[in-house]
Amino acid sequence: MIARLDATRHVVSRLTDELVIASLGNAKYDLFQAGDRALNFYMWNSMGMACSMGLGLAMAQPRRKVIVLDGDGALLMNLGSLATEATRKPENLIHIVWDNRQYQLTGGQPTHTAFHTDLARIAEGAGFEHVERAETLPAFQAAFDRALDQPGPWFLLALIGPETTPVRPPRSPTFIKHRFMTELGVSH
Amino acid sequence: MNWAETIVGCLKQHRIRFLNYVPDAIGERILQVARNDPDFEVLPLSREEEGVGVVCGQAIGGGRGALLMPTSGLGNSINALASLPLPYRIPVPMVIGYRGALGEFNPTQVQMGQAAPAILTALNIPHFILEREDEVQTVTDGALKLTFALESPVAILVSTQLTGWKKG
Repeated sequence: MIARLDATRHVVSRLTDELVIASLGNAKYDLFQAGDRALNFYMWNSMGMACSMGLGLAMAQPRRKVIVLDGDGALLMNLGSLATEATRKPENLIHIVWDNRQYQLTGGQPTHTAFHTDLARIAEGAGFEHVERAETLPAFQAAFDRALDQPGPWFLLALIGPETTPVRPPRSPTFIKHRFMTELGVSH
Repeated sequence: MNWAETIVGCLKQHRIRFLNYVPDAIGERILQVARNDPDFEVLPLSREEEGVGVVCGQAIGGGRGALLMPTSGLGNSINALASLPLPYRIPVPMVIGYRGALGEFNPTQVQMGQAAPAILTALNIPHFILEREDEVQTVTDGALKLTFALESPVAILVSTQLTGWKKG
């Protein structure tokens, strides 16, 4: 079982100018803990939309790698997006799912991945050609480094443990958006 | 120019490059025009809710995308609209094929169609209905201008009265 914070620290250690979108919950808290930066976009709601935002961002910024830090519960709400991502096939998209098999923020209720549902196989079925599953930190590190280095889109499923982080990123959505876009050098 | 060509012209004038859609008979007339123009990139969606996320991602990347969908799609998008572009202040131009209103033949379309303006009002999303050929340019242009000025979703509801009464 991988500790999500360790895996997130590895992601952050490799970042230069990549664009990172973190889904609500612990994916976001760990990203902030591992390393806050202007090009981190923290989502506070619209559960499931992180990977759709990642797809749109990858389309608008084809020369930048776009990394989505998603949760299993969130992705289960938006499974259709895997088909859309695989259909559009942006080479610069890396869709990571931290799979802890539970809805951690609302009391730890099990998600469907705690039973019979395999998000990596669903990604393959949706049409992703580059799908990896990691159950140890070294395996995740190697998979992520491959995804950074080679064209995608990539789907990386990391089986993670129950650890959480107490820190919280900034809550202001307008601050998060403006900081991101200012650093990227774009406007609407 | 017919109404579809006028709408596409407005989208182009406002530098909206990405057309993200769930199929709908009215939206398809717009896309048939847009597909002839290599400056547009057309993306099929699995569900309208997803399209809200996609447009927001395009927007924070400095791109401009529109969401084309049927009226039922508004229903499928409500929480995504309320909790992403509204609080984050992100423009989302929506071009909605308007069903469930005057001349509707399908009774199951009417509830969402009649509720749509009230839902948009409840969310403080400005919305405009296109009913006549002579207003398409002005209203579409003004609605698109508004979403970027406001940095928030704006809806253009394209009626069957304008587009020729969908037949059951």
